[in-house]
Amino acid sequence: MASSLELSDFLRDVERRAFKQTVYAVRDDHAALDIVQDAMLKLAEKYADKPVNEYPMLFQRILQNTMRDYWRRQKVRNLWTTLLSSFGAGQDGEDDHDPLDSIDVEDEGTNPAIQLERSQTMRIIEKALEKLPARQREAFVLRYWEDMDVAETAAMMGCSQGSVKTHCSRAVHSLAAVLEKQGLGSRAIAQLGAET
Amino acid sequence: MSIDNLQENEIDVQNIDLQAKQITSLLDAHAKRLSMRTLKQLENGRERAVKAHAQQISGVSANRDGTLSSISAWAEHHRVVSTGMLLAAIIAGFVVMQSLNKEPSDAFLLSADLPPEAFVDRGFEPFLNDSQAKL
Repeated sequence: MASSLELSDFLRDVERRAFKQTVYAVRDDHAALDIVQDAMLKLAEKYADKPVNEYPMLFQRILQNTMRDYWRRQKVRNLWTTLLSSFGAGQDGEDDHDPLDSIDVEDEGTNPAIQLERSQTMRIIEKALEKLPARQREAFVLRYWEDMDVAETAAMMGCSQGSVKTHCSRAVHSLAAVLEKQGLGSRAIAQLGAET
Repeated sequence: MSIDNLQENEIDVQNIDLQAKQITSLLDAHAKRLSMRTLKQLENGRERAVKAHAQQISGVSANRDGTLSSISAWAEHHRVVSTGMLLAAIIAGFVVMQSLNKEPSDAFLLSADLPPEAFVDRGFEPFLNDSQAKL
């Protein structure tokens, strides 16, 4: 059984990645935060008796399921919104801008040109990730970002290992194509990666 | 499939893995630079989860850093505590009622044939028990 300290360390280690992965999937920072917090709580409450080495798989599974639940709820909500919007003018509440949102925690000590180049590259990668089909993105994130092997990814996604390989291959080719189109070949990516 | 095809396939897989690793290393670096507000909210979520975990495993609360604190945090189990208190109150009420029923009431003492002192005297107890049994 994992101790509370082990759980805390585990969550500290995965929370940022989990948040970004969720943002790419749901395209909404607030919803992503809710989903990650929800997943953390579910892991703690339902799997308190599990050893810490099982947490990565369990957490990813909970996170993916919570995202799916979010999509289902969104579908229903969108249906009602579409129906109701025909009765009145839509009121798009503009989000209050909080200065805290724009403060980055770890400011890079590199020169501004590299920072700008990196942020532009990241924007391109993020957009490309968001545009990937959900299954391809899921396979890419689990296999490469979460560093799971093909069998684990297949088990997580509930599909065959062949499907995982296909999804991953297509995802990487799509991402590479987008980057190539923007003049960011693998050498440029590697160089940026080395500078981080 | 020929050996050349297999080798090509292998190289392709290696290239895919390499490209993917390059992209994820950038994503990793980017994920470290979240806003203060987001980090604070993630920290809050983590603390809530750790607290819930501590309660699940031992009924003990946890500090902000994930270490366990004291058993007094049991008070945070609202449902358990309130159910326990309700049960305790019912049992206490029942016990009090039982003890009150055993005590002879004032009206009984005044209307009895015997003087009140007789009920205090332990020597009268067998007689009283017998007479109550006969009634």
